[in-house]
Amino acid sequence: MNKKKIYPWWFLVIPLVLYVCFFLFPSLLGVFYSFTDWNSRTMGGKVSFVGLKNYIEIFTSNTDYASGIFNTLKFTVISNILKLIPALLLAIMLQEGIRGKNIYRTILYLPSILPFMIIGLTFRSILNYNNGMLNAVLDALHLGFLKQKWLSDLNVVWKSIYGVDAWRGIGYVMTIFLAGLNTIPQTYYEAAKIDGAGFWQRVRHITLPMLSGSIMINLVFGLTYGLKVFDIVYVLTNGGPGHATEVITTYSYQLYSSGQYGLSTALNTILLIITAIVGVLVVKVMSRQEVQQ
Amino acid sequence: MKKKLISAVLCAAMAASMVIPAAAEEATADFAGEELSILVSAGWMDNRYDDTIARFEETYDVTVDLQTIPADQYSDLLQSRLATDSCSDIFWIQSDPFAIASQIVDPEKYCIDFTDEEWVSVMPETRIPACSYDGKVYGLQIWHNSPEYVMVYNKTLFEELNLEVPTTYEELKSVCEAIAAEGITPWFMPGADGWQHQLAFFQIGGVYAAAEEGLYDKLNNNEATFAGNETMLTVLEQFKELSDLGYFGEDWIGTDSTNMVNEFGDRNCAMALANSSYIKQIQEETGTTDEFGLFLEPLADNSYFPTNAAGPTMFGYAGTEHPELVKEFFKFVCTTESLQEILDNSPSYTNLDVTDENLEQHWLPEEEEFMATITDEQKQYGVLQTSTKYTNDYWMQFGQDMVAYCTEQMDAETVLENMDINRATAAGVVGDSAWE
Repeated sequence: MNKKKIYPWWFLVIPLVLYVCFFLFPSLLGVFYSFTDWNSRTMGGKVSFVGLKNYIEIFTSNTDYASGIFNTLKFTVISNILKLIPALLLAIMLQEGIRGKNIYRTILYLPSILPFMIIGLTFRSILNYNNGMLNAVLDALHLGFLKQKWLSDLNVVWKSIYGVDAWRGIGYVMTIFLAGLNTIPQTYYEAAKIDGAGFWQRVRHITLPMLSGSIMINLVFGLTYGLKVFDIVYVLTNGGPGHATEVITTYSYQLYSSGQYGLSTALNTILLIITAIVGVLVVKVMSRQEVQQ
Repeated sequence: MKKKLISAVLCAAMAASMVIPAAAEEATADFAGEELSILVSAGWMDNRYDDTIARFEETYDVTVDLQTIPADQYSDLLQSRLATDSCSDIFWIQSDPFAIASQIVDPEKYCIDFTDEEWVSVMPETRIPACSYDGKVYGLQIWHNSPEYVMVYNKTLFEELNLEVPTTYEELKSVCEAIAAEGITPWFMPGADGWQHQLAFFQIGGVYAAAEEGLYDKLNNNEATFAGNETMLTVLEQFKELSDLGYFGEDWIGTDSTNMVNEFGDRNCAMALANSSYIKQIQEETGTTDEFGLFLEPLADNSYFPTNAAGPTMFGYAGTEHPELVKEFFKFVCTTESLQEILDNSPSYTNLDVTDENLEQHWLPEEEEFMATITDEQKQYGVLQTSTKYTNDYWMQFGQDMVAYCTEQMDAETVLENMDINRATAAGVVGDSAWE
């Protein structure tokens, strides 16, 4: 008798309780507090309901929170483009069987296991205009005209952040692509070759469609990472010069540490809403594409 | 009989000599194996406490975990750690008479009460308000009494270029122009530290106070604002003008103070806002034969001395698991031996402002010469950041706004308005009736 095995529902209880206690409940509590005047003085005391005051404050205050939201979205889009495309190309290249590919894979993956703090502090030193290594190397190579105020020039600072972020993240994204590439049967490529398909045709008609699962994973991870970005910005520029690189989380952190917890949670709630919308949209679009394929 | 008595006394003395150290050892042995954590911003302890901490560890058989945080991140981190009840056993704040109320907010909850400790008397009376709240002493402030953040300048270079010490803004600009023409940065401004460049605005509190009678009282009673203050606007505009003219160096926003001593030693810069004792540091660390001097910061034609009985202050965290060890550490730091160690290991200190008469101070001739030129009238006003409530709490934000202003992201009036908004927020958080 072939009896379909169904695991008992209570297997779910422990993860469900952990999820509710440590994720769902705090998140909902955060949303609730965003409608209150919760601050360091009212902690443990009476917290009053203030309606949409915190949200109005975010969009009307002298502090340019709106630019923080815009910067967050900008970072999310650009940092993903800068990681996904090179990572995909590297993965395809390393899959093609070049000599020493395992060494290259390891080298490329290594930065992603380093803590953000270490990376940030190291790059702060490397990118220093006066005595940083990058400008010194450019000088030594007689490329002084390429020297930049990497972390203090408004026109350059975001590029520096994207660069450091890509350096750290490409290896991780590439590894997910490599895992996806390994699942594509070689026979497809062999058949395509027999039919006379060139390298780019094989990439376009076999690799990319068959990789849609990995692309979706990377996109969802990348988008949620981008929207929640904090560490790399905080350590490299702390939102500066001035407020040029502030993102939602750096503002939220500043508000929290100055005791304005209600306002800080309102900002985080906005981030939650944006993340949820973007996440659902991406999954829907990618799922539809998978079904079509 | 006499012999017996003598031998009995000697025996007793021998026994006592063995018992007393043993008892003392037992007292310190109570803490054996414990760990004392200290949370501090870079620049407040540095290496000057290393020997004292090492002796403390050895004496008490404990480990001290010194957590030194970059200055631009410290305040945020401390507030988060206090708010989440996860602070280190000892923490520091930049304290002034208003700071405990506004930064720690609830010292009863977060701080160990040291009112009855003997070591409190090591601090002079002028330092006590910055360490107390509601009549109770919570903090220990061991800081120097040198002129703080006045202009340190290369006297030899000035003489070679036939330059006079500037006393007005226009004179300062002329001096900067002449120095810049030599390929030297006129005024070294370490903007990347995040906490230094705003000193140029705040250290000349006297010029604001003198321009408007009772300004500090009005600011403390919410009867005046930063926004609309003409003198403050002037100072910001002058600061930006110097920045635009390149007199702070090619990349002052991205430059920190790590290399400032060498920049002075190599004659890459001519002036900086620094402590008077910095002269000693430049000469000792770089071996330069140049002479250095001091003058008052001349933005807005300021002629007032930056009087400031405030400084980094150490507090015991009330939630610590080692309250007795924390108390022992404070007591240990206040012994003459420790104070002398701290002073001697501080390249940037020439003295400590303590009541201990056994301490050997190292005042510089330049300091004495400069102070001889300052009248009591020039000392009458405190610096802006510690003479007005809630101002110092937004030190870093104001610094960010100044950079935003200098990079055209914000106008000067908004910089001042933001300070008013932030102060009002802080007042609201602590329930200050003047802001209700």
